[in-house]
Amino acid sequence: MRSLLSKTGKEGSLANNGSALSLLGFALSLPPFLLVLGFVGIPILIGFTFSLGFTRGPNRVISIIGQQIHPKTHWWGTLAAYSDVFHDSRFVGDLVLTLAVTAISTVLVILIALAIALHQRLVGGRTASVLATLSIVPLFVPVVISAWAIHTFYGGDGFMRSFFANIGINFPTLTSTSTAIVIGSVWTSLPFSILMISSGVQAVPDALIESAKDCGASTLKVISTVVVPLAQTPIIIAGSFTAIGIMGSFTIPLFLGPNQPTMLGVEISNFFGAYNRPQQSLVMAFIVFLAASGIAVLYIWSNVKSAKESGRI
Amino acid sequence: MTTKKAVAVSAAIALALGVSTSASHAAMAKVQTIQVYISADTNIQDLWVKTLVPAFKAANPGYDVNVTFDLHGDHDAQETAKLTAAATLGKDAGVDLIDGGFVTTLGAAGLLFRPTVGIIPNLIDVNKTVLKAGKGGIPYRGSSVLLAYNTKNVPTPPKTLDELLTWIKNNPGKFTYNAPNGGGSGYSFVQTVVDKYLSDADRKALVAGAAPELEAKWAKGLETLRQLNKYTYGQNGTYPANNAETLKDLATGLVDMGTVWSDQFASAVKAGTMPSYIKVAQISNPTLTGGASYLGIPATSANRNKGARVLANWVLSPAAQNLIVSGTLNGFPVIPLAKLDPTATGTFAGVDIQNLRAGYLSANANDLKSKWASTVPGK
Repeated sequence: MRSLLSKTGKEGSLANNGSALSLLGFALSLPPFLLVLGFVGIPILIGFTFSLGFTRGPNRVISIIGQQIHPKTHWWGTLAAYSDVFHDSRFVGDLVLTLAVTAISTVLVILIALAIALHQRLVGGRTASVLATLSIVPLFVPVVISAWAIHTFYGGDGFMRSFFANIGINFPTLTSTSTAIVIGSVWTSLPFSILMISSGVQAVPDALIESAKDCGASTLKVISTVVVPLAQTPIIIAGSFTAIGIMGSFTIPLFLGPNQPTMLGVEISNFFGAYNRPQQSLVMAFIVFLAASGIAVLYIWSNVKSAKESGRI
Repeated sequence: MTTKKAVAVSAAIALALGVSTSASHAAMAKVQTIQVYISADTNIQDLWVKTLVPAFKAANPGYDVNVTFDLHGDHDAQETAKLTAAATLGKDAGVDLIDGGFVTTLGAAGLLFRPTVGIIPNLIDVNKTVLKAGKGGIPYRGSSVLLAYNTKNVPTPPKTLDELLTWIKNNPGKFTYNAPNGGGSGYSFVQTVVDKYLSDADRKALVAGAAPELEAKWAKGLETLRQLNKYTYGQNGTYPANNAETLKDLATGLVDMGTVWSDQFASAVKAGTMPSYIKVAQISNPTLTGGASYLGIPATSANRNKGARVLANWVLSPAAQNLIVSGTLNGFPVIPLAKLDPTATGTFAGVDIQNLRAGYLSANANDLKSKWASTVPGK
């Protein structure tokens, strides 16, 4: 979308009869835009009006079936469902857990991915390629399978406990803890970040690294002043994608997390299904949406920055 | 290149398959297809797909059955919405027969084709109270939640709920029940503990209709459950996510006692995934809940007077009930045992299958699940 728009802008400025070309560009960008508007934008709008208590029109059927529905009391709606959520004893714990797991997992993912990428770039060799190849494996394992595998690995009768019991150590049961969610999230998010970051790190020209070394820079100095700043855009993109993915995750916290507090992805599903409170579940969805938007701003900023640097805008 | 090739090949295969299925459809144009929608666990999927449907088709040529399966009823709310919308617009919802927990909700909303002995003759053998409780649903099998125990460590299981609660406190970490929003066996234990403090009239009111005013009376039972946190399996009051996990914890010996569905337990024993030294028993005062599962024919189904009615009637026949009892499911029948194969019904010794204590109406059950989640785990 962005690239299409920027391309039309560029071509429009090149040609004198640019208006016809930019119109064509606009027309070309319309189908995906309309698709997003129709199938994502409008449902979001309908969902938002329902969270405010608009219970007629497209929201009529769900209002008949749902429990604890608050119809609007003012012309603009009502905040009763929002108040329900903020006064629910579960919500604060869920929100804190969601944000904490997202932050910790993302930092861990970026650090591990960066370490593997740097090792591959600066040291290289057979071990590095084997490590990089192995780290991609989780990409091909469905999340539900890996979640269950981690569950049996760290469970009460799992491998870790059995192994350590043999040498007389009582290894803790990690399933049903937030630690297990972090382990699962890191495991499933790592491949994408490694692909993204290692390609960014590989793109740093040899000449720059070598000239820094010639000037007497230590490896650490090369990493911190040359490689990482040059790979900043892919690192930020990997980080924001990872964070958004983990924030909205469902399978990992469902299988590996505690019953309460749980991550908002699971709680939204509980409220929508098990407790039959669609309005409150939508309110939570909008809160996750807001938090994810904050991360998205970071992503857009880094994209704009890299576009400016390469002279595209 | 290779991916492109793979895409092209798979597209060609899909095309060929599409052509061949449409050709076979054309050849059997006279066959009427009955759309069955199942919202349950995989044991019920097996019952329909592997047992009932083949037997029905063999007994009734001219009918085909297409089963749509929704695991754990994850889409009950959407399916209910779809059926409600179809009923409001007077259109066929594309579903002829539903097997799922939300059938009674549909019945209460007046969205089901009312079954009578006139249109479904085999209903004559079904218990009238059970039929009436379905609000338009057709009871076709029963199951109950039971207490499973490891005979190696528990030679004599608790007989009453009070004895069970004492046992849990005396044997920390050896009992579990799954989170009520993840499966009915854990839900049943929660409702049973809550019911312990309710009068008979209150219990009946919560089964019969929405009764938000009675929900405050759950507090005592929920407090009892919260106090069990430090005695149940798992740290800080964590509970298995679903029915299957409780069964796994019992089979692997992590716990000595837990609540399980009668049919899932019997299937696990038959499949060899549950060791023979794990047994089940019912408790009393109050008993763990159980009840009939209902089939529903949507009022707007185009097949309501044709295939759907024929299939529902056949499911209540002794031949089909025998399959429900003796097949992989090991369900309870809804017609008198005298009409069934005596070798298959011998396993019901010790469980009173005609007097099952019912669960709450779904609206009340949803509230109980929500209250449990906010007051018990991790508190």
